Amino acid sequence: MIDESCVHCGLCLSSCPTYLVTGLETESPRGRVWLLSQHSSGVDIGHTGLKHLDDCLDCRACEEVCPAHIPVGHMVNQFRIASSTGVARSMVKPLRYFFATRRGRRRFKRLLNWSRYRVVKRTMSWFPGWIPPDALALASGLPQQTVETARPVMDPVKEGRVVMLFKGCVMDTVYGKTNQNAHDLLHIAGARVVKPELQTCCGALLYHSGDTEILRDLVLENLAAFEESGSEDVAVTAGGCSAFMKEYRHLFSPEDPIYDRVVRFAEAVKDVSDVLVQLGLPLLPSNGQRISMHDACHLAHAQGIRQSPRTLLRGAGYDLVEMPDSDRCCGAAGTYNLTHPEISRTLLGYKISDIPQDIDAVALGNPGCQLQIAAGLNKQGRRVPVRHTVDLLWDAYQGVNDGRG
Amino acid sequence: MGEAKWRQELRDIVGDRYLLEDPILLDSYGSDGYTLEKARPSAVVLPADREQLQAVVSQLFRERIPFLARGAGTSLSGGAIPLDGAVIVHLSRMHHIRNIDWYNRVAYCEPGVVNRKLSESLEPFGYYYAPDPSSQQSCTLGGNVAENSGGPHCLKFGVTLNHIKQLEVVWPNGDVELLGSLADFASPVDLKSLMVGSEGMLGIVSGIWARIVELPQSRSTTMVLFDDVYEASQAVSAIIAAGVIPAALELMDPLAIEAVERGVYRVGYPAGVAAVLLVEVDGPAPEVREEESLITRLLEKFSTREIRVASSAAERELWWANRKTAFGAMGLLAPRYYVQDGVIPRSQLPHALRQISEIGDHYGIRIANVFHAGDGNLHPLLLYDDRDEQMVQRVRQAGSEILRMCLALGGSITGEHGVGLEKMEELTWQMSPAVIQAQWALKNACDPEGLANPKKVLPIGPTCLAESPSDVTRV
Repeated sequence: MIDESCVHCGLCLSSCPTYLVTGLETESPRGRVWLLSQHSSGVDIGHTGLKHLDDCLDCRACEEVCPAHIPVGHMVNQFRIASSTGVARSMVKPLRYFFATRRGRRRFKRLLNWSRYRVVKRTMSWFPGWIPPDALALASGLPQQTVETARPVMDPVKEGRVVMLFKGCVMDTVYGKTNQNAHDLLHIAGARVVKPELQTCCGALLYHSGDTEILRDLVLENLAAFEESGSEDVAVTAGGCSAFMKEYRHLFSPEDPIYDRVVRFAEAVKDVSDVLVQLGLPLLPSNGQRISMHDACHLAHAQGIRQSPRTLLRGAGYDLVEMPDSDRCCGAAGTYNLTHPEISRTLLGYKISDIPQDIDAVALGNPGCQLQIAAGLNKQGRRVPVRHTVDLLWDAYQGVNDGRG
Repeated sequence: MGEAKWRQELRDIVGDRYLLEDPILLDSYGSDGYTLEKARPSAVVLPADREQLQAVVSQLFRERIPFLARGAGTSLSGGAIPLDGAVIVHLSRMHHIRNIDWYNRVAYCEPGVVNRKLSESLEPFGYYYAPDPSSQQSCTLGGNVAENSGGPHCLKFGVTLNHIKQLEVVWPNGDVELLGSLADFASPVDLKSLMVGSEGMLGIVSGIWARIVELPQSRSTTMVLFDDVYEASQAVSAIIAAGVIPAALELMDPLAIEAVERGVYRVGYPAGVAAVLLVEVDGPAPEVREEESLITRLLEKFSTREIRVASSAAERELWWANRKTAFGAMGLLAPRYYVQDGVIPRSQLPHALRQISEIGDHYGIRIANVFHAGDGNLHPLLLYDDRDEQMVQRVRQAGSEILRMCLALGGSITGEHGVGLEKMEELTWQMSPAVIQAQWALKNACDPEGLANPKKVLPIGPTCLAESPSDVTRV
């Protein structure tokens, strides 16, 4: 797919994290569109050209500023799929196993729980060949507790919007507690929350790694869960998942028998912060805590979501301290931190130095960024907790059990 | 020294990664925002700092290899297209704001600092950098200095030249010199101002001390919709004639409106609007209120569809974003555009717009107009398809004719985009041989070997004008 509408204006350059890191024209969106057009007209762009294309984070920052809204991220992705290239291909197998199957997710959860023990951590670092150093570094960003805890059952809401909570794969395995908090917050906001057992990974990580083979199965399972639940909204706690599922329709042709179902599902998908703003949470007095917000790419650039999490946090009594370039990619970008460690590390460095010193927590709405930024802060010995917006909200609202119920 | 040797020397200075030689990478630097022509540089080198930059230039001088500096490559007259196999010195890595001197109110910046980033870093302190080219979200200060860039808000505050206090220059032989002064007086021989607008012909700027100014206490932006673009251009003259100098005065015609409304920053203008005029006034609050009401009263005498004052900062920003992405949004109407940058006296606006429309009809080219109406700086955007060679020819002719018209009306062939390689021929229409000779003398004094940005701006001689430089691929 080649877009004819690039007039070479260059307005995208400064938005591109890889251009910021390398300074190279071919590591900019304009350069990548040019490389793609060369490739499609039969020019051999060589190993270097391919590498610079593949360095794209798919952060979508350029798409947001392009006057002709050229979908550079999509174009690069489609190129990856069509040409079966890209270092991310190596991630396909583990991703399919650990995230796209229920058994895999269960095992991954177990692995994570083990890896929390000091002994296991130390053993892991004795065998550096087993686990790539970047994965080890990332593991230091893991939360202390991932499993859901027993909580008193809330009074069921009898009337109100039916909202399906989408569990996701990484959220479910690593940040299960956040999902639980989201569930209870939606409840407080007056929603009838359903959490179907039969739902699965959204497929974004696989798609971005260039794998489309099992996507259809994943989509079908999520469609069925949604339809059976009778929900009006699908609330999602991972920005990467909601962005991808809102665009499910691009994966299917309008002639496809499931196309209409896909469109209905995609239209119901919302980031949990948007659902909460729409339903409304009670306003709380200031709690004196200072929070700085990192805007996940797939919330800010792909969905234009910047205000909802801020509105909620302010409403819950937090003071917001803005960081510079809060919507510049932190380098996590799905599995990018494992496949492109060098650029990823540089971006993480920029992000960490942009995080203000005197704050109580960094807020964000995407698990990839959460792991990445937490690991980055740890490495520098900074003890600032990195929290999902939903978790910060839960801290504030957990006493307000039945605000509306 | 052989070919391989100087390349090795450059590699030793900047490191393997920052000397580009792969043909595909070199070709990606083939053109800037002006896409009618392209050429391959013999190398691209990315110095990290002033020391590396100086070493690179010295090395190129020793080998007598031509070179040119490039910022973000957003320039619109082909100034950054490498002729004579020039080596491109890409300054994207030199993007640091080194120091902000609040006492002297200057920001010391490397040339690769993005215009908008400078203002963004100053705004929390109540300051900004005033010149705001429409490409400000990407274009660099170094490029702004080279082109003496303007922008919508230069009507009141002046162009880049008025905002540069001091420059550090690497001359083509590698010597470094500081021009200008941080003090608020002009030196007797103003060499700094010679560099501003010299389009990379005299050397490479390695440090920029830019004036920073306080954000206006208050601002008011009025959007005026017209059913007739000529009526709108008369309104522009009337505003200036009344003695108001707005901070900005911008006009878009129907085709331009169509493009920006399909773009990312949609305002939602009502259907059938023939012109959008943005008028912005700023300053102390009482003054702004007074000017705003004066402008509204003036505009009421014209036949307008709607006069709307921005009710919030967000609304104002949307209007400006909508306007500033007009060039890029042309991609939604046609595969390519060719923008002209002629200037005319304000009073001639209605007349000039009519003529542009006639020229478009004559050559069968669609032309969108979006321009700095306040200072008569036109930006007719000629839409074309580069796969149609005939059309490309017609676009060139139509563009040329528009510039002749500007001169005939008492204007200039360029306001802010520069001459580059695009308007070398047209320059001779505007400037006498003696004036061009004088500029050659200056060029030779700074760059006797003719290495800095070769074959740009100044025509070589009357006989050479008809031919294009031989190493340029006309596309």
